[in-house]
Amino acid sequence: MIPRYQRVLFWILSGAILLMALVLLRGCEQTREKLTRHRDETPLSAPVVTPSETVQLALASDTDGSITLVEREIALPSEKSARAHALLARLIAEYSYKNSAHPIESGPAVDDVFLIDLPLHSHSGAVGSDFSGELQVLTGQMAVVNLHEAFTDHHTSGIESETLTIKSIIGTLYANFPEIQHVRFLVDGRSRETLNGHADLLRTYAVVNTTNKPAQGVR
Amino acid sequence: MRKHAAVLLVTLASASTAAITVRAQTQAAASIKANAPAGWPINHTLVVLDPAHGGTEGGAVLGDHVAEKDITLAVASKLRAALSTNGFNVVSTRDAGGSDPLSTDQRAEIANRTHAAACIVLHATATGSGVHLYTSDLQAPNQDPDLTAGFVPIPWDAAQSGFVRQSADLAVSLSTALGKAHLPATLGQAPIRPLNNLMCPAVAIELSPLAAPGAAATPATDGNYQQQVVNALTVALRAWRDSPALLPVADASTGGQTSAQSKAIAAAEATGRAAAKVRTSPTPPPAQKGPQ
Ligand SMILES: [Zn+2]
Repeated sequence: MIPRYQRVLFWILSGAILLMALVLLRGCEQTREKLTRHRDETPLSAPVVTPSETVQLALASDTDGSITLVEREIALPSEKSARAHALLARLIAEYSYKNSAHPIESGPAVDDVFLIDLPLHSHSGAVGSDFSGELQVLTGQMAVVNLHEAFTDHHTSGIESETLTIKSIIGTLYANFPEIQHVRFLVDGRSRETLNGHADLLRTYAVVNTTNKPAQGVR
Repeated sequence: MRKHAAVLLVTLASASTAAITVRAQTQAAASIKANAPAGWPINHTLVVLDPAHGGTEGGAVLGDHVAEKDITLAVASKLRAALSTNGFNVVSTRDAGGSDPLSTDQRAEIANRTHAAACIVLHATATGSGVHLYTSDLQAPNQDPDLTAGFVPIPWDAAQSGFVRQSADLAVSLSTALGKAHLPATLGQAPIRPLNNLMCPAVAIELSPLAAPGAAATPATDGNYQQQVVNALTVALRAWRDSPALLPVADASTGGQTSAQSKAIAAAEATGRAAAKVRTSPTPPPAQKGPQ
């Protein structure tokens, strides 16, 4: 025979379980309601018609180590650093296409592009700091291209391949942004020695014409 | 907000680069002492081999999980053997079993202490085809040195600038020898370390698969292919050690002084400023960066 106090305890515990289940269900419902309401209230971005424009990409080819300027029609944002970002993202995307002459694994490559006016002025506190370096001497605009580590880690490792990628980026910036005169590279926001073992990422590159083959189309 | 983020990032990058530069310059100061004085004596029988990568840094992956670091070491040991039997002294920046490989700056330091006739940086890859020869993308000095300035320290990142012409000559010699051995070679410039830091005629060699008509390409892991390349390089380096390119050039003044050069200087001494021009080391121009 089950003692009375055990039966009482059983019913009390059962009641507690039921109560907790109800509270949990109610909580779930409330959360769902809140989320749906929130989604409903999210304003849709106003439809913006961005007309596509003609840009030039400095495309690399592994076959003959060439960089050729080709034209593409793409829609770009109006803000300059966003334009540069979109343009470089498009450039790298070209290399992930089937039959690419300079194959690179697909995936996001460029995290962000920042534009900075040089020379950088050192702050008063930094007396004696050598951080000045070349960035305090160089003039013009500098693009800081922040690459994704996943991109650099999966890039084909080799002098030829890595150099072509760097030349391709520099040539594309040169063709579309005449005011950008220098470029530096970061990987996930930090400086890194090489792209993937070879091409130097610690230096400031001059943005120059890197094409070495007649352009297809204009220029 | 974005602007702030940008400034922060650049500050970070610059600070770290500055730190590296400062360290490198200190090392450079220790190893090369300011500007190369009147002549940079070259040891005509000394070759520095730099088998790139090593330790945890394996470089590219070739074929069935073969690390590039092992290929570069294999090629270096073959080249070392071939050069030694041809009367060369060989200094290598990495040996088998070296668990803690040197940084590219440290490798350049070793090379710069030797006054070598040639510095060969070895790489290998699974893509492309043939043998690629790369020199530094620095510009050769194209102006007369500032005679009033005295000796100007050479920036670590432009140490190669005084040797750019010799490096180009060396690359052409190597390429010609490879061509004669039916190994297709291409010349180029590449932004890779430690080329810009080397004070010697310097060429980076990247072995790509050897394409053959109607057959599968021979990978750089192939011992026979490696030996063919080594033989061609040895032939070229034997000719190189007697090359006039190793003699000092008046406007580059980076080579060793021969008796002929000493006579030229003695003759020019009479005309004052002209002599100074011959004897004074060039002031390196600001580093021209960016691949051309
Ligand atoms: Zn390599």
